[in-house]
Amino acid sequence: MPRLLSALLLAGACMPALAAELPIFDAHIHYSHDAWESVPPKEAIAILRKAGVKRALVSSSNDEGTQNLYAEAPDIIVPELRPYRSRSEIGTWARDETVIQYLEQRLAKYRFVAIGEFHLYGADADLPVPRRMVELAKQYGLMLHAHSDVDALERLFRQWPEARILWAHSGFEQPAKVREMLRKHRNLWSDLAFRSDHGGGGEVAPEWREAFVEFPDRFLVGTDSFTPERWHYIGEHARWSRAWLADLPKDLAEKIGWKNGEAAIFEPFSKRR
Amino acid sequence: MSQMSRWIAAAMVLAAVAPAAADEAVRFDENETAMILRHGPWPQPPVRDPSNRVSGNPAAIALGRALFFERRLSPGGVVSCAHCHAASRSWTDARAQAAGIGELVRNTPSLWNVGRNRWFGWDGGSDSLWSFAIRPILHPAEMGADAGHVALSLRADRQLACLYEGAFGLPGNRSPANDERVLVNAAKALAAYVETFVSGRTPFDDFRDALERGDAASAARYPLEAQRGLKIFAGRGNCAMCHFGPNFSNGEFHDTGIPFFVKGGVDPGRHAGIQRLGADRFNLLGNYNDDRSGDSATKTRHVDAQHRNFGEFKTPSLRNVELSAPYMHNGRFATLREVVLHYSEIRADRLHSDGEALLKPLKLSPREADDLVAFLRSLTDPQAEQTALALSGIPNRCAGSTSR
Repeated sequence: MPRLLSALLLAGACMPALAAELPIFDAHIHYSHDAWESVPPKEAIAILRKAGVKRALVSSSNDEGTQNLYAEAPDIIVPELRPYRSRSEIGTWARDETVIQYLEQRLAKYRFVAIGEFHLYGADADLPVPRRMVELAKQYGLMLHAHSDVDALERLFRQWPEARILWAHSGFEQPAKVREMLRKHRNLWSDLAFRSDHGGGGEVAPEWREAFVEFPDRFLVGTDSFTPERWHYIGEHARWSRAWLADLPKDLAEKIGWKNGEAAIFEPFSKRR
Repeated sequence: MSQMSRWIAAAMVLAAVAPAAADEAVRFDENETAMILRHGPWPQPPVRDPSNRVSGNPAAIALGRALFFERRLSPGGVVSCAHCHAASRSWTDARAQAAGIGELVRNTPSLWNVGRNRWFGWDGGSDSLWSFAIRPILHPAEMGADAGHVALSLRADRQLACLYEGAFGLPGNRSPANDERVLVNAAKALAAYVETFVSGRTPFDDFRDALERGDAASAARYPLEAQRGLKIFAGRGNCAMCHFGPNFSNGEFHDTGIPFFVKGGVDPGRHAGIQRLGADRFNLLGNYNDDRSGDSATKTRHVDAQHRNFGEFKTPSLRNVELSAPYMHNGRFATLREVVLHYSEIRADRLHSDGEALLKPLKLSPREADDLVAFLRSLTDPQAEQTALALSGIPNRCAGSTSR
């Protein structure tokens, strides 16, 4: 009886601890110009640490935000370069040739692991500015973080078949289409930011479970702090992610929760230091 | 004649009645006309809440009216419901952010036609009007009471006790369970009373009905600037996509690009509202729901917080909107014109690219902004003040006898 009691106590102690302590690699964080004053770097890093975010892939409009955060916490922040000087360029950057010079200057000055997150749809992917961006990514050996539809994604792969692409929000596609794309492109990873369909109520949706099981090494979680206020959602997002990840086998949960980010994003970056 | 044919005919009539110079004539196309007609008729049939067995009950309405203005519901007799929801101020308080016992972070919503809502409060944290009434009673910064205090207040006052008995019978001996039942019944009486806050017809309603009848002469009495504003509202402004239906609200929640920082953090809006609703012992899944069919609780059973809900707030009704300044969930805008200009120049970069796709900067000219404001003012019931004062009149003395 005492042994059984001990076992139960041990199980009771371990299970919540596992869920609570699962580190998070947050693959979709922005720290843009309007966030710097309302959530200063020290506060931003404190939010990440409190949320148990082990690592964060951060891009900002403009890049100064990312650099400030990286200087504050190089152990957490993994910088990527967004081709926007302000968030208002989301819809114009692909036709704005001044973006190229901006990218070239930042790439020459700082180290990054990726270019993105950028918004790019359909045939716009073949415009001169995105084409040059892809060339720069190739030159510097960087991942692309694409908020794109399937058409644009295919065009990016045609430009650079060896590209490593992180598909923002998994394209907001249905899981069957996401699986189809992951089968087709072995260098494609999918982030699950700003979508709730895979893990609502702390349960993994069956069609998503099949996707995670088929591609255990290709999914990552992310908050998407697209406004300053959303920095205050990072902790809640981590809690929410741990809840649905707990519905998966432990090794799979750990991969999606943080290990995939470490392998696909942090390790290449750490080798570049 | 099919409904669509009637709408087309109505649109042609309206186009024909536009009387002024040609450059001022307002023509509504088929889609705009259909959209306009969907904002009526008004008034709608009375609301009856199946989760509240005293909804529409005159005795409960009388008790609710007495309680609404009863400051003794808050410890120390400091504030009543009417403290924030003043009849003379269109059931609001004219403050940017409410203040009860303490300071709050949200604007006091008007209560006109509130019974028509699906969710209650800026964050939809309540799923019934009666549970919505419990929230301020218990909130430490609003009325700061508890069930025991409410039950004691009802028992201690002969008039209130009499009204209570008329609506619900004797409250039973004092016990935590009985006190909580008295609190819930008091809230259901308050809800029954507030359901009677139905606004009257407006110039827009007259125009809308004339449009439906094909009555050109009556339609022509609607001011041209309001007609031009209505055209923006129902057309390129996309306003009617959310401010939809006879009560000018789809009853749902949206991020309209309003910053939601508050002192010490953020107001998470709908996201926290859903979580609070789930934890609320007075929600429709609980024992106090009088709807034995269970149908009224379906929405509560299935609602689940989504990432997009963070920073979303409820689409308010626009009926009598002119009378309920300041505006938005945090009272950020003092005037209707400021609200219109917000949507005119809305910062699309504050909205998720896969979120509120309807919201684009309208880039209104000054005259267009004026027209939209003129339309919004045409949603004012000219009798609103008199109606509110009549609703807030001194309740009849309780005619029944209490056994106490």
